Amino acid sequence: MKDSFFRSMTWMHTWVGLLVCWLLYLIFFAGTVSFFRDEITLWSKPALHDAHVPQERIGLQHQQIIAGVEYLKTVAPESNRWGIYLPSEREPWLIYAYEKPRPEGKRFGGWNDYYINPETGAPIQQPRETKGGNFFYRLHFDLHYIDVRTARWIVCFASLFMLVALISGVVIHKRIFKDMFSFRKNKGSRSWLDGHNVSSVLALPFHIMITYTGLITLIFMLFPYPAMTAYDNGVRGLFNDVLPTNVRTQSSAESAPLVAVETVLDQVYTNWPNADITQFAIRDPNTASATITVRAATGTQVRDQTPTLLFNGVDGSLMAKTRDELSATEVFYDSLTALHTGRLANPLLRWLYFLCGVAGCVMIATGCIMWAKRIRERMKKDQVPSFGLKLVEGLNLATLMGLPVATSAFFIANRLLPITTAERADKEILVFFVTWLAVALFALFKRAKQQWIMLAWVNCIACISISLVNALTTNGNLISYVLNSQWALFSFDLMCLISAVLFIVQAKKLRTQLHAPTAPFRANRAGKSNLREQNT
Amino acid sequence: MSEILQFSLCLFAFNCFALAKFNHYRDVFKVRPTQTQSNQFVVVAWISILLSLVLSVVEYKGYGALLFCGYMALSVLILMIFYSFKTSWVKAMSVINISVILFSGLFFAIY
Amino acid sequence: MHAQSQKNSQLLMLVAKISQYYQSYAYQLAVVSRFFAAIVGGYLFTSVFTALMSITLPLKKSDAVLLSISLTIFIYSCVFIWVFAVKSLKTIWITILLTSSACGLSIALLKGWL
Repeated sequence: MKDSFFRSMTWMHTWVGLLVCWLLYLIFFAGTVSFFRDEITLWSKPALHDAHVPQERIGLQHQQIIAGVEYLKTVAPESNRWGIYLPSEREPWLIYAYEKPRPEGKRFGGWNDYYINPETGAPIQQPRETKGGNFFYRLHFDLHYIDVRTARWIVCFASLFMLVALISGVVIHKRIFKDMFSFRKNKGSRSWLDGHNVSSVLALPFHIMITYTGLITLIFMLFPYPAMTAYDNGVRGLFNDVLPTNVRTQSSAESAPLVAVETVLDQVYTNWPNADITQFAIRDPNTASATITVRAATGTQVRDQTPTLLFNGVDGSLMAKTRDELSATEVFYDSLTALHTGRLANPLLRWLYFLCGVAGCVMIATGCIMWAKRIRERMKKDQVPSFGLKLVEGLNLATLMGLPVATSAFFIANRLLPITTAERADKEILVFFVTWLAVALFALFKRAKQQWIMLAWVNCIACISISLVNALTTNGNLISYVLNSQWALFSFDLMCLISAVLFIVQAKKLRTQLHAPTAPFRANRAGKSNLREQNT
Repeated sequence: MSEILQFSLCLFAFNCFALAKFNHYRDVFKVRPTQTQSNQFVVVAWISILLSLVLSVVEYKGYGALLFCGYMALSVLILMIFYSFKTSWVKAMSVINISVILFSGLFFAIY
Repeated sequence: MHAQSQKNSQLLMLVAKISQYYQSYAYQLAVVSRFFAAIVGGYLFTSVFTALMSITLPLKKSDAVLLSISLTIFIYSCVFIWVFAVKSLKTIWITILLTSSACGLSIALLKGWL
C-alpha cells in the first residue's frame, strides 16, 4: 500500500479511526456513563432517594427472604416467576417482584416490582417508570431502534477497528512515550495532536483492556466456531459444560406445594457460611417443576459469574452449584468479562474507570477534530471545502456536542414528564433522540466556530438546568444531599455543575480565538472532556 | 490510607520519569541535568512504580492491577497539567508528594 | 467486413475505457480490496484457526474452547495489522487462503468429516 511499514500504519490509523470515530464516541460515552448505571438509576427514581442501607444488612437477609416468599404467595400465586432482590450498598432497597401474565406469543411478561425500605420494612411508593442508567447501558452495546443482533455486530465491528487503531497508534506515535508530559498550547493542529496523544497515553492500558474485553463480552456472537467445532450442540453445549447451574427444567402444569423456604436457606448457609445473598429467584412456583436459584455477591474476586445455587422447588434438594474452584483458563476468561463490566469495583476504582473512560472520549473526539483541522490548514485561501470535509465537520459538531445535549435532555425529561404519562420510559428515550436529531439538523446547515460556541452555551445551560429542575421537582438538592450524606446523588449534581463550568470554559476559549483569527486554534479540550461527565 | 500511599508512589515515579527528561528538568531547575542524575531519576522511578504496583496487587488482588492503571492515568494527567501550564509549581508539588509518601508510609508501617 | 471492424474498434474502445477507469480508480480499488482482505480474510482465518485450536489444545474440552475464544480477538487484530503491513495484495490473499484451507482441512480430518 504505502512504501514503508511505518507509513502504512499511519495511513491505516487515520482511515480506520475516521471511519468509525463517531460511533465509537457514542459507545465510549455511553459506556463511561454506564459505570455509574446504578447511581443514575437511583437519581432518576426520586421515590427511592430516601432508602438507606440498614446497619445489619446481611443479618436481615434471612428474614427478608422469608417475608418476601410469604408476600408473593399471597399476591401472585399464579405467576411464572418470582424474584427477591436484596439490598446492596449501591442499590439500598428491597424488591419483591413477580412476572406479569404473559401476553399471547411472548416469552416474558415483564416484572411487577414492589419496593420496600429495608430499614423500616415499610413499602416505598412505586417509582416513576424510567430506564435510568439502564438506557445508557443498553445504548452502549445494543444502540437503539435497531435490531439487537445487527446492532451488536455493528458495535463489534467498530470495537475491532478501535483495537486496530490503538495498536497502530502505538506503532506510529513511538514518540508519545518520549514527551508524554508536554502539551504544546496554541499550536493549531499540533495542540490537537498533543491532546490526542496525552489522552491516549494517559490510559493506554485501560483503552486496550476495555476494547479487548468488550469484544470478549460479545465473543459468542462474533466467533462461535471454536465452541461449534468442539461441542455437538455448539455454544449451548459449552455453557452446559462450564456452568453447572445452567439447567432449564421443562415447565409442568401439575401443581405442587413449594418447599419451606427455611429448608432451602439452611442449605445455603451450610454451603456458604457468610453468604451475602443478592438474589433469590423462583421459577414456576407452586408447580411440580419449581426451581429456586440463589445468587451471592462475589466479594473482592475478579469474577463476573456470580456464585449460584440451584434447588428443586418441591423437595428442596440441591440440583446444581457453581464450582468454587475454577480452572486457570476459566479464571482467565471470566476475569476478562469482569474487567470490562467492573461491577464489583470499589468507589475509588469506579472513579478511576470513569476517568479513563473520559480520557477515551477525549482521545476519540480530538482524533476526529484533528483530521478536519489538518485538512483545513492545508487548504489554500480560496479553495472550496470538499464534501468529505464538510461531512466530517458536520458529524463532529453533531456527535461531539450533540450527545451531551441529548443526555442532559434525557435527564431533564426524567424530571419534567408527568408521572402518569403512558409508556413514560420510551418517551424519555424519544426526547433523547429528538434532541440529538435537532442538533444534527442544526449542524447540517452551519458548523463553523460560531456554532460550536452556541452549542457550548446550550450544553452549559442544559447542565445547570438538570440541577435546577431536580431541586425544584424533588425534595432534595445539592445542599440537602450533603447534609443527609447521599453521596451518589450529590456527585451526580456536582458533575452536572462541573460540566457546566467546563462548557463555559470551552465557549470562552473558542470566543477568544474567534476574535483573534491569527491566533492558532487551541483545543477546547478541557471543555470537551467534560461533556462526558454528565453522570455521577 | 494504603490507596493514598499507592497513588502517591505512582505519582512520584512519573514525576521522576519526567525529571529524567532533559527538557523538563531544565524547565524546573533552570540548569541542565547530568547524565548520572538522569539515570538516578529513572532508577528511582522504576523502584517507586514497581512498589506501587506490588502494594496495590497485594492488597486488592486482581482489581489491584486495574487500580494501578487508574493511578497511572491520574498521575500522568496531573503531571501533564503541571509541566505544561504551571512549571513553577512542580517543586512545591514534589515536596508535598514526598511528604505524603513519608506520612502515609509511616501510617501504613504502624498499622 | 466494414461492420466487423467497426464492432472490433468499439470493443477495443470499451476495453480501453474500462482500463482507463481502472487506472484512475486503481488506488481506491486497492484500498477497498485491502480492507476486504483485512476484515473478511482476517475473520475467515481467525475462525478456522481458533476452531482448530479448540480441538487440538491439550486441555480439558471446555478449557480449550474458552482459551481459544479468549485469544480470537488477539489473532484477528494481528492478522488485520499484518494485512496492512504487507506490500503485495497477492501475497496476502494467497497466504490467507492457503493457511485457512490448511486449518479447515485439518479440522475436517480430525473430526472425521471426510
